[in-house]
Formats: sequence, C-alpha cells, structure tokens
Amino acid sequence: MSEAVTLRCNVNGSDVDREVDARLLLVEFVRDVLGLKATRVGCHTGDCGACTLLLDGAVVKSCLVLALSAEERAVVTIEGSNNLAEIQAAFVAENGFQCGYCTTGMILTAAELLRKSPHPSDMEIRHALVGNLCRCTGYDAIIAAIHRAAERRGAVGYAVGSRQ
Amino acid sequence: MIGARFRFTRPETLEEALDLLAGAGGLGRVIGGGSVLVPALVAGQDAPALVVDIGRLGLGSVREEDSDVVIGAAATYATLLASEVVRRRLPLLAAMLREVTGGPGLWNLATPGGAACYANPASDVPGCLVALGAAFRLASRRGERLVAAENFFRGAFETERSPDEMLTALVLPAPEPGRHAYYKLKHAASSWPIVTASCLSIDGRIRLCLGAAAPVPLLLDWPTPSTTEAVAAMAEQVQAAIATEWTDELAGPGYRRAVVPAVAARAIRAVLEERTS
Repeated sequence: MSEAVTLRCNVNGSDVDREVDARLLLVEFVRDVLGLKATRVGCHTGDCGACTLLLDGAVVKSCLVLALSAEERAVVTIEGSNNLAEIQAAFVAENGFQCGYCTTGMILTAAELLRKSPHPSDMEIRHALVGNLCRCTGYDAIIAAIHRAAERRGAVGYAVGSRQ
Repeated sequence: MIGARFRFTRPETLEEALDLLAGAGGLGRVIGGGSVLVPALVAGQDAPALVVDIGRLGLGSVREEDSDVVIGAAATYATLLASEVVRRRLPLLAAMLREVTGGPGLWNLATPGGAACYANPASDVPGCLVALGAAFRLASRRGERLVAAENFFRGAFETERSPDEMLTALVLPAPEPGRHAYYKLKHAASSWPIVTASCLSIDGRIRLCLGAAAPVPLLLDWPTPSTTEAVAAMAEQVQAAIATEWTDELAGPGYRRAVVPAVAARAIRAVLEERTS
C-alpha cells in the first residue's frame, strides 16, 4: 500500500528529492519534512487560508494538496518569497495582525492580488481575501495595510517569485 | 496526516489512468484540485485504495470546438475566470464563476469538473451547467460517452459516472449569448449557497435552473412573460416543482422551499430588465 514514494520538486529555488508517505499533505511536507514553519495549519478543510503558499506561481491552500501532487512542480513558501518587504512593512504600520497566525496567508494572497491589480478597490481586496480568515477579526487593518502597500508600490507592478 | 493508506499515482496518459481506475474497482478516486477529496481523506470520511491525480493528463484547457466550448476536467476556476472564450461565449458561466467563494487559494486549485462530479446540491456548479445544457464527457476502458447534464446529476452526491469512469471534459453548447442572470442567496460572503438561480433568455423563452433547492438541479422553461403577475406565477410554479426539498446545516426543512419564489423572481426579473449579474 502506501510505502514511501520519491517526491522530486523545487522548493524556494532548490531542488528537493525526498521519500514521503502518500498520505502526507503539501503543508505537512514543507513544515514537517523541510522545516519551513511559516506556512501554518489552520483548519485542514480549505476554509482558513493559513496554509497558503505558491504552487507553480499561484497561491494555493496547501492543506488541500497531497505532497505527491507537487511532483516536478515549483513550491514557494513565504520564506522563499521576495518582493514582500513593502507589504510586510504596511502590515506593521497598519497593525494588520494581532496573533499573526493568518499573516503568512494574508501577505501571500495580498501579493498575488497586487500583482494582478496594482491599485485594488476595497471590494477587490475583500473579494481576494474571502478565503483567508483572521480569527482576531483584524480585517479593517488588513485591508488598510493592503491599500497602503499598493500606494507605496505606486504604479510599479511586481511579481512574487522564489529567491534564487 | 491522512490516516488510511492508499496508493497514489500521477499518470502521464489517459490510457494509463483509465487502466488504473478499471483495476481499482470501486476503490479508485480521481483527484483534480483536491478541495473535496483531500479534506474527506483527512477526516477519514473516505478510504480509497487508489488515488489518481489528473494533473499530467493535459486536461486543463478551454477550447472552442465548432459551436461548442470544451472545458477540460482539470481546468481550474482561475483558468476559466481568466478565459476570454468563457467571458465572450458563456457569460452566464462567467457570472457564476465570479460568485464562487473560497478565494484565490481555492480558485487556483479547484475545478468546476470536480465540483460537478462531487454533486453537492448546495453548490454553484451543477445548476449552472444544467441551465447551459452542458454534456459530460466520460471516459473508461469501456469507451467514451457523452452524458447530458440533466441525466448526469442523479441525486445528492450521486452522478451517472461509474467508478471506473473519468470525467475528461465539460462540453457546453455556446450559441450567440442572449440575456442572462446568475443570482444566489447565501448567508455570508464565504458560505455555501442556499439557493442558486441560473436564468437565460433563449429564442423568446425564459429558461431557469434552480440549484440547491432540491437534491438535483431543477430546470424550468416558459414563454417570455410580459407582466409582473406572470413572473410571480412562474416563481410559484418553481416552488411547486420542488418534489423533495434539499436541507443541510445551512437551511433546515422549509427554508429553501420558502425562499425559492423570491430567488426565482429576482433572477427572472434580472433577465427581463437586461441586468446582467
């Protein structure tokens, strides 16, 4: 049955080759096998967005992905993301978090939004964050932080990518 | 980690995938985005022997084929939301897709094809596909067949697809788009729908498909009404057409039946008034 299987993928710019159990989730692979603890486990049902990371350049909820589905694909966690400093600074300036558990997912989701829509409206921001829950209910500050990051970015678009 | 053991495969050809499914009896599962299957595995609600990942089968695209639009089974919500073909030729589908909740972390993973195969009554996808007259392309070692949407949804969480069959594509007839509206009632931005209404104006008639009201989508069709009284009568007919009401944790007995006339009337009025959702 599910004996260990080889998983080859790229994580944060480095090729990874590990034996994993087919039952392992992608979020468990990055946290427990690779030790990248910034990606969180919240709900295990795809509701909360704490496990957000990038798979082939797009944000996904990694509790919904089997680790072996990442075979030959590129995984980027917040540890390997560049170009986030202004968004992070904006979250600090606006107090865009209380406990910080959801912040990884909020920031990566905000980065994808700003990449596609450099000057999002309030409604665009709320729509983009519909799958990221903040249990401290800090949404107003989070939305303000994303507006601030957009303003600081000016008209310059930017991409989330792995740090090479 | 998931409790029960299973074998995972990510085949490179459809033939290989279908051989694997055929060999698994009823214990094979197809995984697209994983948003339904993975939480079920984590919760121990499903314990397959085999999981077949369709990510390498090249089923993720949207194509125009003659008068149809063919949507691959692995095409994600994000792919369809970004598709010019969907926007131009299937505006009702585009309107439905814009209303799906879950956020980009879900839209980049999950697939309408998977949602259709899951056949949760309280979902956006089944009702919209029935309204659009979609057909489901099912492949197995036994061959390929095309199943019309009204025959595909057999009951709550039950479809015409056999365990050895894989959905490879949704085939949507795409004539010149007419007026359309997608309207749904839900309690919060992130909640599953209570009732959905997909409404189209086609050749002087109004086609309305209600989702989530009953275990399977409910399709009705009338000549275009000319009075508000006629719209109200249509809405009452929709309510009367519910043989078995769907109930779940979001809406208990009587709730959906009570709200259906209002939802139906709003969708019909939106089409008549040329408002697009």
